[in-house]
Amino acid sequence: MALVEVEGHALKLSNLDKVLYPAAHFRKAEVLDYYARIAPVLLPHLADRYLTLKRYPDGVDSTPFYEKNCPSYKPDWMGTNDMEDVTTRGVIKFCRVDSLAALTWVANLAALELHTSMARAPDPETPTMVVFDLDPGPPAGLLDCLEVGLWIRHVLADLGLETVVKTSGSKGLQVYLPLNTPATHDQAAAFSRTIAQLLEQAHPDRVVSLQRKELRKGKVLVDWSQNSRHKTTVCVYSLRARERPTVSTPLSWDEVEAAADAGDTSAITFEAHDLLDRVAAVGDLFAPALTLCQTLPTLG
Amino acid sequence: MPRAVWSGSISFGLVNIPVKLYNAVSRKNVSFNQIDVKTGSRVKMQRVSAADGHEVPYEDIVKGYELSPDRFVLIEPEELDALDPEATHTVDIEVFVDLSDIDPIYYDSPYYVAPVKAAEKPYALLVQAMEDQQKVAIARFVMRTKQYLAALRPNDGKLLMSTMVYADEIVPAKEIPEFDGLEDIKVSDKELAMAKQLVESLSTEFNPDHFRDDYRDKVLGLIERKAAGEETVVEAPQPADEGKVVDLMAALEASVREARAARTRHPTGEATAEEAEAKPAAKKVAKRTKKSA
Repeated sequence: MALVEVEGHALKLSNLDKVLYPAAHFRKAEVLDYYARIAPVLLPHLADRYLTLKRYPDGVDSTPFYEKNCPSYKPDWMGTNDMEDVTTRGVIKFCRVDSLAALTWVANLAALELHTSMARAPDPETPTMVVFDLDPGPPAGLLDCLEVGLWIRHVLADLGLETVVKTSGSKGLQVYLPLNTPATHDQAAAFSRTIAQLLEQAHPDRVVSLQRKELRKGKVLVDWSQNSRHKTTVCVYSLRARERPTVSTPLSWDEVEAAADAGDTSAITFEAHDLLDRVAAVGDLFAPALTLCQTLPTLG
Repeated sequence: MPRAVWSGSISFGLVNIPVKLYNAVSRKNVSFNQIDVKTGSRVKMQRVSAADGHEVPYEDIVKGYELSPDRFVLIEPEELDALDPEATHTVDIEVFVDLSDIDPIYYDSPYYVAPVKAAEKPYALLVQAMEDQQKVAIARFVMRTKQYLAALRPNDGKLLMSTMVYADEIVPAKEIPEFDGLEDIKVSDKELAMAKQLVESLSTEFNPDHFRDDYRDKVLGLIERKAAGEETVVEAPQPADEGKVVDLMAALEASVREARAARTRHPTGEATAEEAEAKPAAKKVAKRTKKSA
């Protein structure tokens, strides 16, 4: 137990020497250290999102649990992003992680993975971006996702739209279309489904647009259904609970092309300690997701 | 009532003042006995020969001074007795000095110097004279078989005596390597002004009652609770930082460094048995041992 002061708030950090990633021998102190150091670029992507914590109190080999409602024992100074829950008619109070202190507090809960909404508080009805969640069905892998991601990029570029891209930190890739203009979840889902179906028609041996597992073998699922009020996607710069402490890392399209050409994904696979140097060198490649204003086109 | 540890007289010039010495400090360390956990009986020390383990009777034990490993000069008790300083039973005042001339590093153990009956008058006279002149007496005296250097100072109408260490017992500061080069460090006026301000803001009158031996209080509290039959769980000691608010990165630094060092020892990430045990997942770790959880 260590009592620390973060931004004027006293926090108790527990189990700092606990190994959360046994295969990588990566400890809880390193998780906290990573999140503290990445905070400057992570917090803008986290602060206004409805945040679901995926907690691994006994490490990545144990069963995690999802937490939408911020724990009742949260410190008083920590705010919440509140969303009406349509099904229960209650209110879900999500942890508002808008400071290093709040981030440290949730990281101390062993919330290795941070999953965020498409919308920003206080308006849960308006997605600020569209996501194309590329999920490979084995034996397809990240390399196949790169190719599909580049296709999406080119289709949207033809529509005059810019995209940003990040690894999922796992096997997949996520292409984002920044909007930051009025849109609904239904519109975002319809648009992304249309693009997914378009790619499926153009590359029926490589792409599927439906979740069904038996269709996915050796292909890349362009999962458009993430564009929903109720869904969250792993947040950029979040750790992943994999064997090694990999991170959902924003990439430049040049890097995606280079990795696709080389047929090697090792240059775009990043772990916690890689990220800090990388961000120091290239800055926040995902910043356009917050700032770039584009209008969602209507597809005929 | 405290017991006098020495009696004799203060001697200076032609004056003799009969006095007794009392310990001015009673150490309050909590002492424990060694107990055999299997039988609950006390553990007895035995003097045994390192050669064959047989018990050596007290009368067969002599002092040996080690010249080189396992080569001793044997000294008989009588030989040492002959060297004992003469037990003069006097505190011989040699000089009077200013209190501020004595660096506190020289002070060893404090005693009260009390006058015996009928010696109160000359005692009070000496104390008052020293008080008026703001002086401290430097004296020599013999207690048991050791010759002591001592400082006697007046305090509120009484005499206090502190035995002193000899100058050649002080470890020269220049033997501490970290002190090298300190005098070459430059500080700016601004830095100095800030440091002085900090000192000023924390300045107060010294009040010894403000400082308590918390550890002793806790040990005594633990003993009382156990003696009262209360089930007491001994909690594993916390890191030194416990209870003290520290900077976040500073708190993480040690753990992060240790984690990296552990990985370097086995870069495949395979935990050694020892480190696997550091994982809280290893529930078998006994409660009273310090574990990482």
